[in-house]
Amino acid sequence: MKISVRDVADAKVVEVDGEVDLGTSPDLRRTLFEALSGARRLALNLGEIRYIDSSGIATLIEVLKRSQNMQKEFVLFGLNPRVLEVFRLTHVIRIFQVFQTEQEALGTS
Amino acid sequence: METRAQRIHIKFSVPSDPRYLPVIRGTMGSLAAAIGWDEAECRAIVLAVDEALANVIRHAYHSRPDGLMELEFRESAEGLEISLLDNGDAPDRSKICAREIDCDQVGGLGTHIIREVMDTVSYEECPLGNRFVAIKRLRKTT
Repeated sequence: MKISVRDVADAKVVEVDGEVDLGTSPDLRRTLFEALSGARRLALNLGEIRYIDSSGIATLIEVLKRSQNMQKEFVLFGLNPRVLEVFRLTHVIRIFQVFQTEQEALGTS
Repeated sequence: METRAQRIHIKFSVPSDPRYLPVIRGTMGSLAAAIGWDEAECRAIVLAVDEALANVIRHAYHSRPDGLMELEFRESAEGLEISLLDNGDAPDRSKICAREIDCDQVGGLGTHIIREVMDTVSYEECPLGNRFVAIKRLRKTT
């Protein structure tokens, strides 16, 4: 799994490429928590994720809860069908703000 | 003379180390496709097996990588039986529970996925340890 973080105005965009599972989700969690501390809005691109399990979904829920506690925004975009299937199975999609594109996720479209 | 079709039966002994999970996922996906499930169903079955292994790593072996997991796939006329044996701590049955829809609780997601995907799921304690058995039926469209 590869993770990159970039700044876009006062937001941070995190890109993930690869498989998120029990072995890799701690790295994603650490990166998202660090990025959240330095941005008003955190946008996560899920377009290049080829596999995600419940530990990955649990990580996203944890980051969402922390963002709410910090009165920040954590949003998702670019969900591919593989990721959507797991969200459908876990019934948690409606707790997240989900957008199609990065521009929509950052409110710049 | 009536002949019975030969069916696949695979056994794995896997350390309780998450770095081996992709190996099992690769094999499981190919096996499910060979038996006859479509791509989306294969991905769901792979996910359910992965979640069962992850539960054993986290809860039976408390993330120790030196435990042993014995995984068995047995094809039948109806579909596939998956058996997973470990000798770690027994699962707390009171914590194996259903989740509410759209809730933001972190726990129980893996168990929820397994129950959504598989047709039958059971847990038992046996002389060799804890055994998880799940069955997925192949639904023929003809």
